[in-house]
Amino acid sequence: MKVGLYNQLVRAGATRRDVLRGAASLAALSAASGAGLGALTGAASAQDDLRMQILKIPGVGMGQPTDADFQKVGELCLGATKANVAEGEFAGVELTFMGLNNQNLHNVLFRGFLKPWEAYTGAKINWIDLAQADYNARLQQSIATGTVDFDLIEMGAPFEGDVCGKGLTSEMPDWVKTQIDMDDVVGYLQPPVGTWDGKTYRVTVDGDAHNFNYRTDVFSDADLAEAWKSHDDKAGLETWGVPTTWQQVQATTKFLKGKQVAGQDAFGYLDAPKAWGGFGFYFLGSRASAYAKHPDDKAWLFDADTMKPRINNPAWVRAIQDVIDALPSEPADQLNADPNTTAFQQFLAGTGSMVVWWGDVGSNVKTNDSSVVGDVTGFSILPGSDDVYNSKTGAWETLASGPNYAPNCAYLGWGVYVMARVDSDEKKKKAAWSAAAHLGGKDLSIWTAMYPSGFQPYRNSHFNIPEWVAAGYDEAFITSYLNSEKDSYNHPNAAVEPRIPGIFQYYSVAEDELAKIFAGQMSAQEGADNIAAAWEKITDQIGRENQIKLYKASLGM
Amino acid sequence: MLPTDLIPESRKRLGRGLVWLASLVLLAVFVGQGLYKAELTSFGFDTWQPLIYFYVLWGIALGAGQVMTRGEDGYKALFLLPAVLFTIAMVVFPTLFGFYIAMTDWNLSSFSGRTFNGLDNFWQMLGDAYYRNALINMLIYVAAISVEYVIAFGLALLLNAQIRARKFFRVVFLLPLMLSPVAVSWMIGKSLMEYRFGPLARLFRWLGWDTPAFFASPVSAKISIMVLDAWTFIPFMMIMLLAGLQAMPRDVLEAAKVDGANAWQTFWGVIFPLMLPVSLTAVILRIIFKLKLADIVITVTSGGPGGATDSITSFIYREYRDRSNVGYGTMLAMVYLILIIIFVTLLLKLANRFVRNVT
Repeated sequence: MKVGLYNQLVRAGATRRDVLRGAASLAALSAASGAGLGALTGAASAQDDLRMQILKIPGVGMGQPTDADFQKVGELCLGATKANVAEGEFAGVELTFMGLNNQNLHNVLFRGFLKPWEAYTGAKINWIDLAQADYNARLQQSIATGTVDFDLIEMGAPFEGDVCGKGLTSEMPDWVKTQIDMDDVVGYLQPPVGTWDGKTYRVTVDGDAHNFNYRTDVFSDADLAEAWKSHDDKAGLETWGVPTTWQQVQATTKFLKGKQVAGQDAFGYLDAPKAWGGFGFYFLGSRASAYAKHPDDKAWLFDADTMKPRINNPAWVRAIQDVIDALPSEPADQLNADPNTTAFQQFLAGTGSMVVWWGDVGSNVKTNDSSVVGDVTGFSILPGSDDVYNSKTGAWETLASGPNYAPNCAYLGWGVYVMARVDSDEKKKKAAWSAAAHLGGKDLSIWTAMYPSGFQPYRNSHFNIPEWVAAGYDEAFITSYLNSEKDSYNHPNAAVEPRIPGIFQYYSVAEDELAKIFAGQMSAQEGADNIAAAWEKITDQIGRENQIKLYKASLGM
Repeated sequence: MLPTDLIPESRKRLGRGLVWLASLVLLAVFVGQGLYKAELTSFGFDTWQPLIYFYVLWGIALGAGQVMTRGEDGYKALFLLPAVLFTIAMVVFPTLFGFYIAMTDWNLSSFSGRTFNGLDNFWQMLGDAYYRNALINMLIYVAAISVEYVIAFGLALLLNAQIRARKFFRVVFLLPLMLSPVAVSWMIGKSLMEYRFGPLARLFRWLGWDTPAFFASPVSAKISIMVLDAWTFIPFMMIMLLAGLQAMPRDVLEAAKVDGANAWQTFWGVIFPLMLPVSLTAVILRIIFKLKLADIVITVTSGGPGGATDSITSFIYREYRDRSNVGYGTMLAMVYLILIIIFVTLLLKLANRFVRNVT
């Protein structure tokens, strides 16, 4: 659960009565549904009791959880560990865990969760805490200089190419897969994510994808609806409403220029043209995925057989051109807007009516002090496209099924990985995997999904809305929000992050060229060709043959 | 303590032998470790770290050898030797090693690791439009110092005059210098100058500029960055010039007054020429500060729009940190270092000649 979303409930003052009412709803729903929730409650299992028990620690709306709460949750979730590890089995084992300390989350929670595990198993864990900004440099330097000084690491899937691809991680034993119930993890985080060459390395603890956030008041405004009727370029949006394709996003963005809603200037989509340390490229990716990710082709950024960049193919160039075309209709300072600006300084503050982001916008709309759009924000998966580019045939295609949708599963969330340096010591290896499995446990994960942890839902079992409502969440809000996440995660044509070494180098160099394009220094095609040339250079520098192998592996080809 | 000429030859030999022995051991360990790392031998240390201990031991042997061979003079050398050895270890060696890294193809994500590629990075740099663009930007940024100098001189004259609350203003004008450029970037660049709610943006709207987007066009973004940087560092020049003004001999000014010179004539005929040495020092130091410009650019514009505000350092930061391109990034930094050394040396020579001619 993102901190903001949790705080929303805290501020909303969810009471014990709300919680009980939610619990009653859950019971009623369960009783009514023999096939659905009945399966969950039918056995009146101890697991259900456990989940209800841990979700009361400290209780939604009862304030920020403390270290004592983390330890309580960790203690209650030790059952799975106890089934695989004898008490005191790891006495004398010392492990080092490297992770983040963003917003006093991540490692701070892991410490508390693992304290009871340490007490039970006899192992001891030493911690390396890193700020987000230091993480990449520390990890890359450790890899390059051969000084991996940690046994477990909290890591994002995009780094798997740099780490797993170089044989630095330990393969997950089968007992861990069983312990963490890997089948419960949402589709897009299933292998090939977390795997290399068919071997599994990652205990997933988080999920990430871009979703589409829009202003419900703007797209239900009667005056705009009236004006839309006489607007020429409707891009298939016959009645004024929420755009569902990028063509409609473009049309509505241009239409909204110069219009007003409730006395305020209205704007449409908010692009993020300013470089953002490589992460800004994800936002062009979200504009391009519906154009470039063909349902019959797993690849969308490079040709899988040659690593030839696709960034300069007609699909990506169209996405770049869309930004160029939309910018004049966006706020005057948009050229200096990075994703942080679009989400937190613009959209939340009431500027713009459409923005793409990770789940954080949804979790901030009602809780962020600067947000004025808490009651007028809706969520969906990314817009689609009327046609999709087929890189293999070199032609645009209109699918019989309708618009092509391809949610951008950007970054793929955090996972816990065990380093290969423990492999030579069986006891230490088992200890490291046991610790990772404890953190990625199914029951513990519902707690991290609901409470401030820095992690978003990532298991199918996290989308059991009555469980959230029973814990005290507002049903309408959580349903809309979770559905946008779930539908992105489970989409059959999701555009998956290419987990290859140096992926942020590709993104970073692209940002530099995109900045020039958006500043009007060159055309979309010319700039895209430059990006492609720079990407070819990076591929050659890192090693083309290996990149091809790893890119294919990352796509499960 | 013995003078050199009273030291027995046997002790001198022992001292020389000690230094030679220590040097041979250090060299042997260095070569051996190099061969081990090149996988040409099977024994060696896992890391280069033990070489530091051998270096320290060599330093101790060198110090002892100095005393044994040179007596009192050797003791004197002991005062200097630790600092020299430390400088060699922490400045000279890293710089030389940096030149070596600059001649390697070293991307941290590369499977082949670090490989020597001679001057390839240099030739690549010559054709790098981003580096060239950043160099041109730096010339513009440096040229802006002339305006900063005029403002700083004006403020210094003002604060040197008999004005009310002079001490208060001196402290107030110094405040920007006390702030971190990153804080300035956030406070001014991303808050005061923010397009929607920033007070400066509102002021400009009130003044008639409908779309006060300070960082959205290349020209306005460059000017805005220069203003932010100037706001931070004008106080630095101002305080140096103020010190110069206060140290100026009163009798010269009084003589000018007696001769009937008005304020304008006094400034151009007396104050400005006498202030030239201080002015040049202030400007040269300011240029050195300016050549390091990075934090404000990185925080406020990330070099944009379209590279309009990019500085050499902010570009190297992206190349090195975001792209892990260590070899090329180091080459860019080393070439910039050489350019700065040449530029500042020439500047100092010209400045000295100029001051000599004028005064």
